[in-house]
Amino acid sequence: MKRVVMSNLFLFILIVLAVRPASSCAGEKNDSLNAPAESRLVLNYVCGADSVNLTAILTIKRGDAGFALENAIVEFSASNGSISSILGDVKTDQEGKASCKASLAKLTGSKDGMVTYTANFKGNATYPSAEVSFSAKPAKIRLFFAIEDSVRRLKVFASQKNEEGEEGSVPKETVVLYIPRLFSLLKIGEIALDENGTGSVDFPKEIVGDTLGNLIVIAKIEENDKFGFVQGQSKINWGVHKQYYKAEVPSRELWTPIAPLWMIITLLIMLAGVWAHYIYAVYELVMIRRLSKKDKPLF
Amino acid sequence: MEPEQKNPLSEFAPQLERTSIQGYAWIVFLVFIIGIGVYAFLQQVFRGHEVTGMRDNVVWGVYIVNFIFFMGVSYAGALISGTLHLFKTAWRKPVIRIAEFITIISLLIGPCFILLCIGRLDKLHYLVLFGRIQSPITWDVIAISTDIFGCLIFLYLALLRDLATLRDYELLQLPKWRKKLYKILALGYTGAPEQQQRLNRATNIMAAIVISIAIIVYSVLAWIFSVTLQPGWHSTIFGPYFVIAAVYSGSAVMIICMWVFRKVYHLEEYITKKHFVAVGVIMLVLAAFFGYFTFSDYLTKWYGSEKNDELLIQLLFREFYWPFIISNYVGVLLPLLVVGIAKFRTITNITLTSVVVIIALWLNRYIIVVPTLESPYLPIQDSRPEWMNYSATWVEWSLTATGVAVFCLLFTVASKFITIVPVSGVQGEEKKEEALV
Repeated sequence: MKRVVMSNLFLFILIVLAVRPASSCAGEKNDSLNAPAESRLVLNYVCGADSVNLTAILTIKRGDAGFALENAIVEFSASNGSISSILGDVKTDQEGKASCKASLAKLTGSKDGMVTYTANFKGNATYPSAEVSFSAKPAKIRLFFAIEDSVRRLKVFASQKNEEGEEGSVPKETVVLYIPRLFSLLKIGEIALDENGTGSVDFPKEIVGDTLGNLIVIAKIEENDKFGFVQGQSKINWGVHKQYYKAEVPSRELWTPIAPLWMIITLLIMLAGVWAHYIYAVYELVMIRRLSKKDKPLF
Repeated sequence: MEPEQKNPLSEFAPQLERTSIQGYAWIVFLVFIIGIGVYAFLQQVFRGHEVTGMRDNVVWGVYIVNFIFFMGVSYAGALISGTLHLFKTAWRKPVIRIAEFITIISLLIGPCFILLCIGRLDKLHYLVLFGRIQSPITWDVIAISTDIFGCLIFLYLALLRDLATLRDYELLQLPKWRKKLYKILALGYTGAPEQQQRLNRATNIMAAIVISIAIIVYSVLAWIFSVTLQPGWHSTIFGPYFVIAAVYSGSAVMIICMWVFRKVYHLEEYITKKHFVAVGVIMLVLAAFFGYFTFSDYLTKWYGSEKNDELLIQLLFREFYWPFIISNYVGVLLPLLVVGIAKFRTITNITLTSVVVIIALWLNRYIIVVPTLESPYLPIQDSRPEWMNYSATWVEWSLTATGVAVFCLLFTVASKFITIVPVSGVQGEEKKEEALV
């Protein structure tokens, strides 16, 4: 009888366990591990006031899994179509990032001013090679601050080199303005450049700066077919002065050093209630001990 | 002239006086396992937590699972023994001491796993010196230490009558130091009416207190998880869910202990099928509650379709399929079938079911802790796979085995110090029919 009962139970457990979703097949992990490795390079480009910043991110993909490759050497180069120059070899960091800075003065563009930037990972015994390129014409953005009729105005001028190598304007492009905040950039406006590559906008009044009112203003041409990403920045003390509030009495919050009063009171009431009963129980034990002297033994 | 009453201690005396060769072999075996655990612990102390599977992403593992498990078993012991005592349940006598021992032994082992989990034991005292009342960890430290004191007092009150009986039984062949120890611990209790009255009053109060503390303390433990913004943890029902799971696992541990001591000390006359069925029915009711809470918790998460909850449920049904099925299906349905259907209700079946329930409940704690930490709101990307996922190492497993071995060893030692079945009930203090079933 017992055997029958146990076999029934065993059968029941087997039935329950057999009904499992197809997605939970054990082969999934192995498929991912056996897949060939693929190297991937992403190249980020920003043209600053006097230099070009190139950042390559190297990752390895194997099936669904992916990870950043550390200590891999990425070669950066720039080319104008006929002459290619090596900008440098940089090791990737823990996040697979390798950054290179190239002076604008040293870069020579093609006839139309375009420069092709290349990041190359030559590969090794474990991981295959990867290469990525990006072409853009170097440009600059300069910021000017002026007060006109008591109104604060921000002016920008975007420039590029013409075929003769002289500075010319960047006409009819859009410049986006930002202020860096704690986690990201705060967009404060846009300027449509005129034919002379200039534009202006009223500067917002209520942006909080540091204790001296200092703000960093960033102007960007973004995702442009010809210029890529161009960035210029400047500092101005037009922000609202930040004032740190210090409470006269320390507040009692969840995150402050001193706990909220209700929490302390609740805890004390509970502990007092419990420990009072403990003390009472111990008191009864002491009384039992005292009473023992005048009583007889059990046997 | 009344016939001379036979002292029931004469029947249990061999259990206290002698240890068989098998008994010594059992103790040596347990000490051997503990020895491996000590070696593993030293590895952890000298090499740090790199010898464990815990990493930046999954910072809790088997140690926390064991901590929750042992604490749950302890609270279950307190709840069961307190309730049986308070309601003067007729069949309680032969099994209540097992529940009391489970309470205190598990309570001593559980917090040790927290110490194993803490990386810098040299800064442990900071918890007391700089502990913030707002931190659930501080609540836990306060709650557990309060609970330990309460359970020790309750156990002592429950043992007092038997300690007096052991002190007064002259035929007991024990070393002098042990007799002296019984004399000191018995506090001069003679069973005088006023002493009985005071003892009953104190025991009743402490029984009520340990029940409340068990509920509060285990809820505090649950709140460590539920006040945290993590997928699967931030749930309002975690408090009662943990309490139910605790008592459920504790009732299973109690059945196994009853079965072991019944076999080892030949207590078939005292611990009968009636007791197994009675505790089995408690287990059945708790299984139903546990199933209800589990279903309610996962249903609301699944129906809400919150992105991270969905990912967690997918993970549970893919990577943690077996633990999920065993803990939430087998662990719930098996007691309902075995105890619920009369013809399945045998001592062996109930005990085997308890073993399955214990495994299921341990796995339940595992799938509460690990999958959530493997799928946080802000996942680590492009990192090493072994840092994102958790896999327990031999160090963690051997320290887990050590925890179980210490539990068994302390239970063995306790059963050598005082009888597993209370003997004072047949001394005439209480009605005989209440004393032994």
